[in-house]
Amino acid sequence: MNFDQRTTREMIQAIADTVIGSAGELTELDRAIGDADHGVNLERGFKAVLAKIDAISARPINDALNEVGRTLILTVGGASGPLYGKLFATIGQHLTDPDELTKERVVNACEQAISVLKTLGRSDVGHKTMLDVLVPALDQLRAADGASSLSNIGERAHAAALETVPMIARRGRASFLGERSRGHMDPGARSSELIVTAVCRFLEARL
Amino acid sequence: MGKNVGIVIVSHSPDVAKGAADMVRQMVGTNVPLAWCGGNPAGGLGTSVEAIVKALELAWSDAGVVIMVDMGGAETNSEMAIEMMPERRRPKIIVCNGPIVEGSVMAATESSSGATLDRVRRAAEELYSR
Amino acid sequence: MTSGRIKVGSVLRARSQVVLTHEGGLHARPAIKLTQLAKRFDSAVWIALAERGPWIDAKSIARVMAMKTPHMATLYFAAEGEDADEATSALARLVESDFADGGDEGG
Repeated sequence: MNFDQRTTREMIQAIADTVIGSAGELTELDRAIGDADHGVNLERGFKAVLAKIDAISARPINDALNEVGRTLILTVGGASGPLYGKLFATIGQHLTDPDELTKERVVNACEQAISVLKTLGRSDVGHKTMLDVLVPALDQLRAADGASSLSNIGERAHAAALETVPMIARRGRASFLGERSRGHMDPGARSSELIVTAVCRFLEARL
Repeated sequence: MGKNVGIVIVSHSPDVAKGAADMVRQMVGTNVPLAWCGGNPAGGLGTSVEAIVKALELAWSDAGVVIMVDMGGAETNSEMAIEMMPERRRPKIIVCNGPIVEGSVMAATESSSGATLDRVRRAAEELYSR
Repeated sequence: MTSGRIKVGSVLRARSQVVLTHEGGLHARPAIKLTQLAKRFDSAVWIALAERGPWIDAKSIARVMAMKTPHMATLYFAAEGEDADEATSALARLVESDFADGGDEGG
């Protein structure tokens, strides 16, 4: 698939619109087991991305993703800023040839990004974090073959986010709540689900 | 001044950061590049990678820069900020483990005499290393 | 930079002494000026509250501030090196002048 300026722009717009549109929901999730700023923070970050969307999308897709990441690191704040920032930036940095986006290269870039997130957040699956959605989604991507598989990835991400509901949080502010963190979806898992499904929907319509 | 090591003060509170910077200016003088920041992007207590990056640019010196922090989050975001700097500058920026007021004053004193980056770091950390 | 310990029995090249008339004793700002001045000299420089010491490295701001020298204490300076005499007299003059601004430490 070829990412020209318009395609890059539209994909980033789709992601941003989804996150900004769900800011209220994300804040409410975070109110239950965090400090009620996840939605607000991500909204600020993606609005900052949209403010420079022209400059960002003028670049090849790898640089564009890196720049999205940098913008998020600078503007989101909290723990999610560096995490989401590194997610986008690392994927961008590992897509060394923006004109040759094979599935293998995309999978590899995502693996690198997840590895960085695990180190940065000192975390892994089962801790009730964004990783509990990103890791299964990547597994589903590896198994995918063809455009029709994209909706499987979205479904997997959705199911994975729901699976965080009964978990006890082991990281972040929610981890201070212990048992009381059960019964609530992790806000980072939900925002990851939203981003993954936004990307999948976008690609499915164009592949 | 261009050759003296710069000092960046990062506190979760902008008032604390500004106050510490005021004390450094008053006690040590103005021949040391100095910048401060505090508060998160939402305007509450916390730290902001963007603000730290700007402070690093303001206090930049070819001799290097030390970053004084007050607590964990400030250190993490300071490290993020270092990663956002141009690659050739990164090795010359050090996050120090010292008390934010006394360490800044001691680091600035050392820097004002033209000390190297490592000497300035040691001065910043001296009180915590005894 | 040398921050040496004085060897027992060694003869120090230069010494001076002066009464600290500065109100508030040797608190932060005067301590910093003293340290900055001491650092200008190549010699090793020491400060003490008694003629025989214990001697403290005058170029270490942490150590000088930790002395908590009170108002009207007598300060003893010692130095060893090429510019030792200049060092000890400059430091004594600084204290005598009540830490007046030298005017050349930058704006």
